[in-house]
Amino acid sequence: MRTGRRIDRRKFISNTALGILGIPLMSHTFRNVAPSDKVRVAHIGLGGQGNAHLDWFNALSDVEVVALCDIDKVRLGMTQKRLLSITQNARVETYTDFRKILDRKDIDVITCATPDHWHALIAIMAFQSGKDVYGEKPLSYTIEEGRAMLKNLNRNNSIFQLGTQIHAGDNYHRVTEIIQSDKLGKIHTVRLWRTGGSPGLGFPQNETPPDTLDWNMWLGPAPYEEYTPVRCHSTYRYFLDYSGGVFADFWCHIADIMYMSIHPHGLTSIESRGDRPHDGIADAPLWIDVDFKFKDLDVYWTTEPPPIPGADKMEIGAHFEGADGSLTCDYNTCVIRIAGEVINDIPEVPKTIVRSPGHQRNFIDSVKSRQQPESNLLYAREMTIPMHLAMISYRLKRKLNWDSMKEQFIGDDAANYLLSRAYRAPWTLPE
Amino acid sequence: MKKFILISTVAFIYAVSCFSQNKGDFEPLFNGKNLTNWTLEKSGGFEVVDGELITRSFGSGNDIFTNRRYGNFILHLEFMLSKVGNSGIFIRCNPSAPDAGFEVQLLAPWTPWRDDLHCTGSIYGHVAITNRPDETTGIWYKMEIKCDRNIVTVSINDKVTTMANTDTVKSMDGKPYYGVIGIQGNHADEQGQFAKFRNIYIRDLDAEFDYVLNGFCDKNDQLRNLAVVASVNLGAKMIPPLADLMSGDNPMAKNGAKQALFDIVAKSSDPIAPAKEKKEIRSVLNKTIKTSSSEITVNYLKWLSGLIID
Repeated sequence: MRTGRRIDRRKFISNTALGILGIPLMSHTFRNVAPSDKVRVAHIGLGGQGNAHLDWFNALSDVEVVALCDIDKVRLGMTQKRLLSITQNARVETYTDFRKILDRKDIDVITCATPDHWHALIAIMAFQSGKDVYGEKPLSYTIEEGRAMLKNLNRNNSIFQLGTQIHAGDNYHRVTEIIQSDKLGKIHTVRLWRTGGSPGLGFPQNETPPDTLDWNMWLGPAPYEEYTPVRCHSTYRYFLDYSGGVFADFWCHIADIMYMSIHPHGLTSIESRGDRPHDGIADAPLWIDVDFKFKDLDVYWTTEPPPIPGADKMEIGAHFEGADGSLTCDYNTCVIRIAGEVINDIPEVPKTIVRSPGHQRNFIDSVKSRQQPESNLLYAREMTIPMHLAMISYRLKRKLNWDSMKEQFIGDDAANYLLSRAYRAPWTLPE
Repeated sequence: MKKFILISTVAFIYAVSCFSQNKGDFEPLFNGKNLTNWTLEKSGGFEVVDGELITRSFGSGNDIFTNRRYGNFILHLEFMLSKVGNSGIFIRCNPSAPDAGFEVQLLAPWTPWRDDLHCTGSIYGHVAITNRPDETTGIWYKMEIKCDRNIVTVSINDKVTTMANTDTVKSMDGKPYYGVIGIQGNHADEQGQFAKFRNIYIRDLDAEFDYVLNGFCDKNDQLRNLAVVASVNLGAKMIPPLADLMSGDNPMAKNGAKQALFDIVAKSSDPIAPAKEKKEIRSVLNKTIKTSSSEITVNYLKWLSGLIID
């Protein structure tokens, strides 16, 4: 009775978060949580970001880190050692195959910080095994994967939070309040940027993977390719087989503020320009500029900062142009220009949006309350779609028209073909 | 040595039998009647009279540029300068920024500023001539400009005046390997002066199969990219040799070939691309899938074929 047991475990955690009146208590107010009441977490993918997950979740008093997984035994060993140096009595098992973690009934949550081409499949398989997921961005490798994630989330009543940690910060909340206050008038144009592009990574010869690294498992559903160190680990995202470079990496961080504040709808066309690096085997964009047409809104992505005062000093940013003023922001700053005045806040706009208790805290609270968190899958998927479409336009080198209701390109079979990618055997994308 | 000759001979026969197409063909770039293939910077800078292209402009800024861009090519033309003639041929140039490329100078011997770095046949301001040509005005000269990747050779009346490896010329650092060809409007400070041109022909090396294929192994990043762009223009017939390159063990060539294969198929997948082209690419792709020896390449080609599924 897998399902039954899963629900029991969920109910159990959920009940411990309820007070006597049935009102959910903010669990972080507890200082001492009995071990059996703790949310049991496993971390999959133990590079820099996976280790950050470990630190964040391990620091929550009602969480117990119980399992670690990586296809690289060196990383796995180092991370285990690091955890034991922070939490001496940690009872943590290590795995090289994430499916063994999914088989464990005593684990409630997995976090996923693998390369992008694994994100969707691991999340879906986790949902199916009754686990909730804190998953790194980008959400998925293809549009089809995102759709399958949402279906499986709903079918299994799972909780998912995308790892867009900036979302929880105060600045995005304040910018949202200002934009939604209408002080800038109707927003007609948004300019997003992130400087930098893929390095070429040179032309290394292929090598035999080290004995400590399961290269076949690293590739997973991606096409088979010979091993060379730069394809793997920290530089994988510069290969289109696994990711989409700096653009795919940072789109959701900065597009997040646009979705949070004005939530554009009705995307109709996407036109990308760009180039790949020429000095190496990497093929993700060296630079990419994209023009998006939404209903009543033009959105521009550029690799170089747009010609806006101060933008040249910001490596990432969002600039909102409204009928009565503009607002330029990044993760922590905000500059508003109204009627020739340059200000950092509009004090008369009230604080109406409840601040996040912290991105991981919010997720663990959601696991207990069974309410979807702030960077939930429905939201994250919608926010991620334009990035995927822009990558397709970049690859095909042409403007594409999009039917946002059908989630299909109009009159371009090749572009529609790239909305999905068949998995390499034995992996299959669950319906 | 013998072995080398044998290999070269075999390679040559292979090249001729498999790759040869329009080899050595020169195309007219100027039809002798009008300015088809060309764009004038301003009207009035050039005129066509009796099969000759004449520039009589006074002052500067009346240049003319090819509509198409060229990377590697052999350009043949004939020129004649009047007593105070001053013109030039722009190479790998950008009409809105002529200095982006370089200029092969054409200058009558009237001015004191015509040292070996600035006289007829020099790469103006960058590479001096090594073999100064005759500079008599009022007669026709044959000129050849050969741009073979980073090697530029200028000849006048079949004698090489200038030869340069542009990669080793410091002042030419960052010059593109691709651009339009231009003719500079005559810019003498005297009325009635002119430069005339006729019999302008070009052999586009980037339209030649074996030349393009060799570009995939070039050490220069930009020249390799030029080979990718050129092979996309060549289309279907490039697919089998690119699949071979992708299956080989030169990481540079593999990488370029993989990109070129994608770009060839992607271009033919455009809804506005001719159906015939799509059909031809589909057919060559399917044949190559059957004959390719590398599993990685076969899987890649199978994936690509999905872009142009019937």
